[in-house]
Amino acid sequence: MKGGKIIIDVRNLKVNFRTYRGEVKALNGVDLKLYEREVLSLVGESGCGKSVTALTILGLLADNAYVLDGEILFKGEDILKKSNEDRRILRMSELATVFQDPMTYLNPVLTIDTQLKEVFMLNKKLLKQAVIVQKSQGKKMIFTDLLSREKKFRGESPNVKVSRAEIKKMAKNLCIGILRSVKMPDPERILRQYPFELSGGMRQRVMIAMALARRPSVFIADEITTAVDVTIQAQILHLLRELRDKIDASILIITHDLSVAAEIADRIAVMYGGNTVEVATTKEIFKNPIHPYTMMLMKAIPNVKKPVGRLASIPGTVPEMINPPSGCRFHPRCPSAKDECAMKVPKLREVAENHEVACYQKWSQS
Amino acid sequence: MEDLLVVEDLKTWFPIKSGIIQRTAGYVKAVDGISFDISRGETFGLVGESGSGKTTAARSILRLIEPTSGEVYFNGTSVTKASRRNLIKLRHKMQIIFQDPYASLDPRQTVNSMLREAMSIHGIASGRFEAHKIALELLTQVGLSEEHLYRFPHEFSGGQRQRIAVARALALNPEFLVLDEPTSFLDVSVQASVLNLLKKLQKKFNLTYLFISHNLAVVHHMSDRVAVMYLGKLVEVAERDAVYNSPRHPYTFHLMAAIPVPDPEFKKEEILLKGDVPSPVNIPLGCRFHPRCPYATDKCRKKEPPLTEEDGHWVACYYDIDFQSGEVMS
Repeated sequence: MKGGKIIIDVRNLKVNFRTYRGEVKALNGVDLKLYEREVLSLVGESGCGKSVTALTILGLLADNAYVLDGEILFKGEDILKKSNEDRRILRMSELATVFQDPMTYLNPVLTIDTQLKEVFMLNKKLLKQAVIVQKSQGKKMIFTDLLSREKKFRGESPNVKVSRAEIKKMAKNLCIGILRSVKMPDPERILRQYPFELSGGMRQRVMIAMALARRPSVFIADEITTAVDVTIQAQILHLLRELRDKIDASILIITHDLSVAAEIADRIAVMYGGNTVEVATTKEIFKNPIHPYTMMLMKAIPNVKKPVGRLASIPGTVPEMINPPSGCRFHPRCPSAKDECAMKVPKLREVAENHEVACYQKWSQS
Repeated sequence: MEDLLVVEDLKTWFPIKSGIIQRTAGYVKAVDGISFDISRGETFGLVGESGSGKTTAARSILRLIEPTSGEVYFNGTSVTKASRRNLIKLRHKMQIIFQDPYASLDPRQTVNSMLREAMSIHGIASGRFEAHKIALELLTQVGLSEEHLYRFPHEFSGGQRQRIAVARALALNPEFLVLDEPTSFLDVSVQASVLNLLKKLQKKFNLTYLFISHNLAVVHHMSDRVAVMYLGKLVEVAERDAVYNSPRHPYTFHLMAAIPVPDPEFKKEEILLKGDVPSPVNIPLGCRFHPRCPYATDKCRKKEPPLTEEDGHWVACYYDIDFQSGEVMS
């Protein structure tokens, strides 16, 4: 939350894609701050740039994309200036991601055991230390002990010999432990199975387990509940809520569903047409939405608990990104647009405590 | 109210072939005996998770997929027994709008020719002039204008395409429309306008809807009565508010508890359902929900409970469960 340390600071990020039809101006100056240990949700309709923002942070943009402007500070360093190899190492340790469709990201011809163990085997030092600690404590190590990032798992390892068999056994134990912590029934059996034998919800749990196994400081979840059913979605959201207390990490949840964000996030950032248009705490943004787009979006979603006769709809459609509208990209659909809105892109400005809005018309009012 | 559509014990099984001689090794029981009726002018919502057989049920009702057994009556006429020629006459009155507006419109036809084709098959308009007039009229009804008439599908956005699909269905002056996830491909801001349009048209033309969706909030917004489907069977059918606010089947209860609410102030209890939906190839014996049901008993494991009625509220469960206290009465 605000007041804490900022872990990721995205500043004025602009990303374009070269296509044969022209340049797609996907991100048009995104500003986003992720604080330590918070759950931030990035919400927007398809094509608004929420996934591109995540991919840019991760360094996984397609070849035809390039960063036009802006910087992404991770723990104070601009990661856009880092080499590909450094960024790969970041993805391996600090920045973990889970994407929408788990089947695309799991290897279909390897068992879960092989794929999950690989993550641990990449960090043999850690495994070695875990073995040593286990020996000295005399009790079995579980994965949550590692998550706590206690001091004993940092620093240099003492000069004790640990056999390969012991390391392998430890990796296996940790695999079982981590599957348990993502609420997987019968983890020993799951480890022997292939991805196709698992249901969508279980695959997503395996992906979450693989992400957690890296002990990340930022966990990015890109539409992880979109491809699963409501009852499974409830299970996964429940799991994330539980994990946020256990793991020492910030969680960035990307979703098109405001209700999912309402259920889990501390803060919500609303994106439209490649810009962050409103950022506030979850309670604040639902109680007091300020940006015209957010206001209309809130009224456009059917709510089971508060039925309304007619849904408010936003006239027009999501902007085309090759020739986007000038100035504020929402102005052609906005009821309170004035001439100045078409001139220059508004930037986020704080209008109340923990509440930033990018709208010329609303600044003058508040 | 008068029943427009009556479905009786409808079953659609897909054979699984295996081996070189393609022997039938089993069946995917996508729809496994469902019965309900829809009154004229109402919106009947059908909800269920993916794989529960909602879409197969809808297509079987229109005989876009040949049902294995069971009966469907539309306005008193049997759809399942209708001959090819009579079926065309029936389809004239029952139309469908599909989920994916990118796949349901022919990319090589203009809007004009799509609308005219529908009209000419069913002999709606006499002559080109009238057809043109009707086509224009339809476009204005769905919120498009004359300039859109000679365009191809690729020139439209998702929401506009779905409007064209609606116009094409309306071209035949139907009484009954099947809406198969009509907004799941659309963004929220566009979804609202399509839902509003569907509501407006229903009032204007006294249409009857079968509204299918996995989005429970959207079904709640649209429907008068709601049926909940699980693994090819209906587990609960009742008035919308009864299903959403006082569900009687344990599956419905858990489904409703899982709906995310767009209101952070709303404190909801965490009620989670264990496990996943089983495969429709190996349907559990007895009540098909029993492996996931926290209240299941031996009786549930042995024999499937029938769908029984009490004050217009149909439930397929042996027990009367008070979900707040967890008390079970048989």
